[in-house]
Parts: sequence; structure tokens; C-alpha cells
Amino acid sequence: MEFHKLSALEIAEGVKNGKWKASEVLSAHLERIRKYDGRINSVVTLSEESARKEAEAVDRAVAEGRDPGRFAGVPFLAKDNFCTEGIRTTCCSKMLEDWIPDYDATAIKRMKEAGAVLMGKTNMDEFAMGSTTESSIFGPTLNPRDFGRVPGGSSGGSAAAVAAGFAPLALGSDTGGSVRQPSAFCGVQGMKPSYGQISRYGIVAYASSLDQVGPITRNMKDMAAAMDVLAGADPNDTTCDAYERPSFSDAVLSGIKGKKVAVLTGFDSESMDRPLVEAIDRAAEYCRAAGAEIVKAKLPITMKHAVACYYMVALGDASSKLACYDGMRYGHHADGRNLMEMYKRSRNEGFGKEVRKRILIGTCILTRGYYDNYYVPATKVRQMIADEYAELFRNVDALICPISPALPYRKGLVEEDPVRIYLGDAFSSAANLAGLPSISLNVGFTEDGLPTNVQLMGPRFGDAGLLALAQAIENEAGSPAVADIEKKGGCEE
Amino acid sequence: MREPVVGLEIHLQLKTKTKLFCSCSSDYIGATPNTNVCPVCLAIPGTLPILNDHAVELAVKMGLGLHCSISDNTRFHRKHYFYADLPKAYQITQYEHPIAVGGYVDIAAGGKTKRIRVHHLHLEEDAGKLVHPTSDGRLTGASYSLVDYNRGGMPLSEIVSEPDMNSAEEVLAYITQIRQLARYLDVSDGEMESGSLRVDVNISLRNDDGSLGTRVEIKNVNSLRSIERALGYEIARQNKVLDEGGCLVRETRLWDDVAGVTRSMRSKEGERDYRYYVEMDLAPISAGPEYVEEIRKSLPEMPWEKRERFIRDHSLSEEEAAQLTEQKETADYFEECVSAGAPAAKCANWMRMEVQRLLHEMDLPIEKFPVKASELGKLIVRVEKRELSNTQAKDVLAVMAEKELPVDEAIKACGVSCGKITGPALEEIIKKVFAGEPEAVETVRAGNDKKGAKVKFLQGLVMRETRGSADPAEVASLVNSMLK
Repeated sequence: MEFHKLSALEIAEGVKNGKWKASEVLSAHLERIRKYDGRINSVVTLSEESARKEAEAVDRAVAEGRDPGRFAGVPFLAKDNFCTEGIRTTCCSKMLEDWIPDYDATAIKRMKEAGAVLMGKTNMDEFAMGSTTESSIFGPTLNPRDFGRVPGGSSGGSAAAVAAGFAPLALGSDTGGSVRQPSAFCGVQGMKPSYGQISRYGIVAYASSLDQVGPITRNMKDMAAAMDVLAGADPNDTTCDAYERPSFSDAVLSGIKGKKVAVLTGFDSESMDRPLVEAIDRAAEYCRAAGAEIVKAKLPITMKHAVACYYMVALGDASSKLACYDGMRYGHHADGRNLMEMYKRSRNEGFGKEVRKRILIGTCILTRGYYDNYYVPATKVRQMIADEYAELFRNVDALICPISPALPYRKGLVEEDPVRIYLGDAFSSAANLAGLPSISLNVGFTEDGLPTNVQLMGPRFGDAGLLALAQAIENEAGSPAVADIEKKGGCEE
Repeated sequence: MREPVVGLEIHLQLKTKTKLFCSCSSDYIGATPNTNVCPVCLAIPGTLPILNDHAVELAVKMGLGLHCSISDNTRFHRKHYFYADLPKAYQITQYEHPIAVGGYVDIAAGGKTKRIRVHHLHLEEDAGKLVHPTSDGRLTGASYSLVDYNRGGMPLSEIVSEPDMNSAEEVLAYITQIRQLARYLDVSDGEMESGSLRVDVNISLRNDDGSLGTRVEIKNVNSLRSIERALGYEIARQNKVLDEGGCLVRETRLWDDVAGVTRSMRSKEGERDYRYYVEMDLAPISAGPEYVEEIRKSLPEMPWEKRERFIRDHSLSEEEAAQLTEQKETADYFEECVSAGAPAAKCANWMRMEVQRLLHEMDLPIEKFPVKASELGKLIVRVEKRELSNTQAKDVLAVMAEKELPVDEAIKACGVSCGKITGPALEEIIKKVFAGEPEAVETVRAGNDKKGAKVKFLQGLVMRETRGSADPAEVASLVNSMLK
């Protein structure tokens, strides 16, 4: 049985009806990780012991006739910025290298309650700051579709692991595209739900008003099921909305007949990688085939200002949220002659280059004199961007646009051309600024086997409708297959 | 002499059961260090603040008591600074949008009433406490410090006044008024000793031409007495600097209570940039009109209203009313006493004299006084009915307080008979007294008591024997007739 090719729902179905055991599904996935993760370095911590116990508990529930949950025996991975009880949570930073939380993030808790089995933690850019998963203290993750390329980031480990068949489902966090861009680079499905859809409790913060948990899967039915499991109000996060969620799994099958879908125009498609422009057209075609009306739309303010605005907001907040790492109560500690010297040394040694850079820029943005010239205008522009989308979604049900202007970057580009990497957030970050749901959906591969994903966006809390659109396109385009990393590289087998 | 101009920032610790942003107990006084802590108030990664609704309610109450308008949509800000008492490295506070703005309190000082304007009231969390393990408790010289986060995250409301006070007397009256209000509204204990009320003083001198001088902030004033002394010192210091042609710098100065001086802590140039910035982890607070109205309706009678009512309804003097309404508990006691049927003037008198004396002797606050107000009322009623003399009643009250007895039992325990001793009962006592003093009786009967001294002596003995329960006139006539 090739368990690693099954979807999450297929695994759960088999566990529930006794076709296979959660424990054997787990073993198969652990074995695959052990065998092949050396090639891509997507998993940084395996929690085999607790995973075995969780899987046995599921098997026991099935044996005793109890409901084992929606995701019975589904092995999953979580980005290493999700707090996991008893399992180190490092944010792939020296700062938290040895930190073991004593609580589970709400998202983790909800997954476990649904019967899913946490296998371990995935690689990421340090403190989620990056788009290539190269700044981790555990070394870079490679793209399972092409080892010469990066998997994207910052949730690169989660996306690569799902693409590599290490898990049918992984959790990431998305502040400006960190779930969707690596999903695009690795050729899987990634979603950033509306802000306030899933609790942020237990996610090590990057930027409070932008961060959102996002599932990564290989098909939309798994995605919808994950949304059912994850979304919901949480007494531990008052920014998580209390509204009654619909069944996303029902909604995903509702089709898009008669819906109006806009395709983004008016951006510089010349500077984009050609296959990604074609992917947009293809996605629009699939929509039309599924019965939707296609129109064109422009978002001039967003296209011009989103990236700059995003970096102002995100870095300002990051400088604030990362201030707690002073080495006194947890995290990397360095001695000094006095308190300030301890702080300075601890933070200098604990944070990597990119994180330090972003904290410095963020601190500058919030400093008297700069605040009014940078931060305040950024918040105004942010509102204008939200308004521009709100206006658009008064007339259309969804938007199709690029998620990344480029196919997966070659390794090391971040050192050569960091600004180009920052500009890569042009299409993805607006969803975070406006709090909108967004899906990175695979619509095929290039001749070289590189994935081509598109971005689907919808109105705030229109997550259900957006899932239906993604499903309709996926029905036409097919869901992406597991990367055959066992054949690549030539070593072993 | 230049006129001092003073504005205050008063921090009131709100009386909630839990901290401002987590469910840790707020009962930190005397608790083992770092036991009232949780992942949220220790800033463990991944945690988020959850606003305590009760703290908002108390802040709104206090705001209404200060005649402020309550803002409908307010937000929290982050105030950043690195220090060991602040785990997040930012304090969650209100900055641009405080919950209550534009109020006032009326104070009585120098025989006049003066209105002190309140700029605003805002909510914020407290920081932890640093413990410096040197023998003299000073910051300098210790090779290390310890931090206790029990206080970290405690809810505070900061009340910022306008610079409307011009003397130490006014400053003290203002603080006293705020404290009284906080206690009336049950918003805070308002104790400077325990730190549930803390004051920062801003003072400048007004020049002869009317312009305001440089403002100096004084911190570390931990009692009304230190505030008074610090003001005295600072006014003299600033005058002296100016008289000598010097310049004042805008700075924060620390009051040294032992040396009796203020010392520069940091100047304006060194003032930190707190990088205030909206707290996105908390949704805006919505204190809508209905909510505010509901709280307004729940407000108790304000101290000044009570004072007026006592004067009006109970015909008390200004002084009596002020004294009885100083604490809500005293006022409540008084009113209960009155409702037991005792005349208000008598109640006021008993409370201001006897009850005060006993409380002082027993070292108790009124709410712990073992004599129930209704029982004191009954006692006063008995005095009114002349069933007890004042002297007897005082003895009885002492027994009521000491033995925690109701009136009737205390009277028995005192050995005071209930009601008047008269007629045959009185005759019995007189016979007993006569039997004990045969010489005196003989002297009178022999007609040798020329000046009537022996008769008076015998009457006195009878009165003592009756513990004042007999009518002196009846005693005199009976003694006289029985001596015949």
C-alpha cells in the first residue's frame, strides 16, 4: 500500500472502516521521511514517540467503536513556529533552539482532537522571515520538484513535505504569502484563510494583524476538511472571529455555476515568468468550463503599493512582537556586565542576519519622526487596499491573479538579489493586508516539471465560496501528484 | 514668590479578581514570588492577551464618577521599552484613545470649593517588581537583581489631571477625593501604603508675568506626607534656582524620603521614545452607549451627593456630614443606625464619639466593628426612652463591642437592670444601704446632721447602688421619709 499517495480523507476513511490502522499509516510516513528527507531537509524535529501514542489512541478508539474523529489517523506536520507541548519549537532560530513549550497551539489542539497524528515540525525561514527557507539554523530546505531550487518560504518545510509525500497535510503560517508562495513553488495547494478564521493562539507571532494559520494539502477536499477542523472561535484569541462557520466540506462541492470571477489585468506581466501568465489564462478557462462568467479587473492601488505597505506594517509589528526575546526567561541567553548588555548580546547572538535586519527596519519605522512618515501612511494605504478589494468584491465573487511572479528561485538568489525576493510578495501580501481569504492552487506543471500555481482571492470570510471555486478548477486541472523524490538525485534505490 | 502649578498622574489598581489580560489571580500581596503568573503574563511565545471585561467596567465606573465622557471605540497601544520588569518588552496601555476623557472633581481646600479638571482616564497593565538583594535595598551596588512577575499585568487605571492645583493642600485634597471616590465605587482599595494608589507629581512655577516655567516630574512619592514634603522641597528648589538666575531643566526627579530631597533621574534629552503603536492582538473596546448607561445606573450614590443628603435629610452639620460620609461604610452604618429608630443627631454623635473611640482602641475599620448598626440604634433608642442613662449606655456599648453581644444580653451582662428602679424595689435598696451605714442613719435620726451631709451621703450610696437607674428626686424623698 502506498500510503504516502493517499489523501488525508482517504487515510481517515480507511482507518475508520478498519481497512488499515493509524499506526501502520504513521509507520509508512515516518519511514518515508527517514528515507528521503535527507534529500530536501523539510522536517527539523520528529516526534515519533508521541505520534505513536496518538496513533494507538486512534486505533483503540476505532476498536472500541468510538468516533476517532474527522482526521482519524491522518499524519500531519506543523511548521516550527506552532507551539507544541513537549516538542521543541525553535522557529528555526538559535534564539529558541532549545525551547520546549508546555502547551499546544489551538490549531494543533484542534487537529489532534480530530484524530490527526502530529509527526513533527517542519523547516522554515527564521521566525518566518523569508521566502526561500534558506535562513533556518537547520540549513535550507530544497524543492522536492527540483533540488536546485528553493521550496519558497517561509513555510517551505511544510510545503516541501506535503509535495514529497511525507504527510498529506501540513500546517503553515502566512503573514505575507508564507503558506501560498511555498505551496506554489512546491506544487501543492495552500490556503490563507480570512484573518480571524483560525485562532492564532500558539503561533509564534511575526505580525499580529497579518499572521494567519494556513493548511497545505494536495487536494481541495482535504483543504476544506482541514478548514472545518481548524476554523472556529477561540477564547484564547479575541481577534479570531466568533461567527458561525459554514461546513467548508459541503461548500467545496457547491460548484461555481453562475458565479462571476475576475481575472487580474493591468500588472506588468512582461516581467513575470511566462508559464505563470499562461497558468492564469488556463485557470480562467477552467472556470468558464465550470460555468462561471469571466470578467477583467484592475487593482491599481494594490499593485502599486502593496509590497511597500506590507513591509512597513509587517516589520513595524515584528520589531514589537520580537522584543520579548531578551534571553531572560527563555531562549538564547548571553551574559553581560549589566541588563542592557545582556539584552544586546542575547539578541545579537540569538537572531540571524535577516531577522536582525527586519527588527532594525521595523524599529526605525516606529521611531518618533519616522512613524508619521512611514507607519502612518502605510496604515492609510492599507485601508485603501482593503477598500479597493471590497469594491471589487461588490461586483465579482472571486479574483484570479498570480501568487508569485516567478517560478521557484534557484538556490542562493536571496543573497544576490534580496529586493527581487521582497518584490515577489507583490501579489501575495495584499490578502494579508486586507484580511482576505486566498488560495494558492496548482493548475499544472511546466515541461521541466516546475509547478504553476495561481492565486484565488475572495471577500472577507468568503472562504467557503473560494474553496468551491478552487475545487471547480481542481476538477479540471487535476490535483498535483506526490513528487517522486525517490527517483531524483540517484542515490539509494 | 512664584505660584506653584501642579498636575497629577494617579495610578489606581483596579479591584478585579484576575489580571488585565490573563486569568491569573490579582491577589498578589504576600504571595510567593512568581506564583501568580501564566504563559500570557510571562510573554511566552504564541500567547495572546485577553481583555478582562471587569477591568473595563471598573474603569468606566471610575470615569463616570470623575464626570468624564466615555469613549465608544477605544483601542490599546503598545508602549515599548526594554526592562526586566516587562516580559513582552512593551506595556499594553491606552494612548491615543483613552476610555474616559474630560472630567473633573470638586475639592475643598482653604475653606473653598475648587474644581480640578481631569484630562483623561486610561487602562493599562502594571509591570513586575524588581527585588535588589542588597542589605539597604538600594539599586546600586547589587551584583544581581531578582524579578517577581506577580504584579505584572495587574490592571491599573491612570487618572491624569490638568495642572489645576496650586498648593500642597489642594494636591492632598485632590488625592483624598480620588481615593474616596475609588473606594465608594469599589473600584480600588486606593491604599498608598500597599501601592494600590500611586501618584506622580508634575510641578512647575508660574512666573510673575503669568507664563509657566519648566515642568518637572517627581516620582517615588509613596505617602501623602512624602508628597507634601516633596512639593515643599521642589517649590523651594525651583524658586532658588530661578532666584539665582539659573535655568530649570525638564526632567524626572526621584523623591528621597530619608534625605528629604528630590534627585534628577533623567532629563528630557534622555527621554525614551516608547514607539507607541496600536496593539493589534486586541480588538477595539466597544463601550457603547447602552453599556455605559447600564453602568451609570448601577453607580452608587457619590460621596458628595451623600454629604448633601445627610445635611438635608438628617439635619446634620457640614462637619458631621463630611465626617460620616468620608467612608461609605461609615455612612452606611450611620444610616442603618438611624433606620433602627434612633434620632439622626444622636446617632451622629454616638458614632463620632463613642464608636470612633472604640474603633480606635480596637484598631478596627468600621466594617469590622462587632456591634451591628441596628443594635447601636436600639441602644440609642433605650437612652431616648430614659431606660438607660448615657453613662450606662456607654458601658453597655463597650460590652457589646468587647463580647460581641446584642443590646439585651449586654445589658444583663453589665448587671444593669432593665428599666427604672422605683417604689418598693427602691425601698429595698434604701433599707440595705441604711443597714450598712447604721452610724450615719443614727446621726440623722438623732437630729445631729446639721448641714445635711449625712443625708446626701446616704442618697449618694443609694444612687450608686442603683447604678443610676433610679430617679434622683424619688431617691431623695424616699430616703428622707424613711429616715424619719
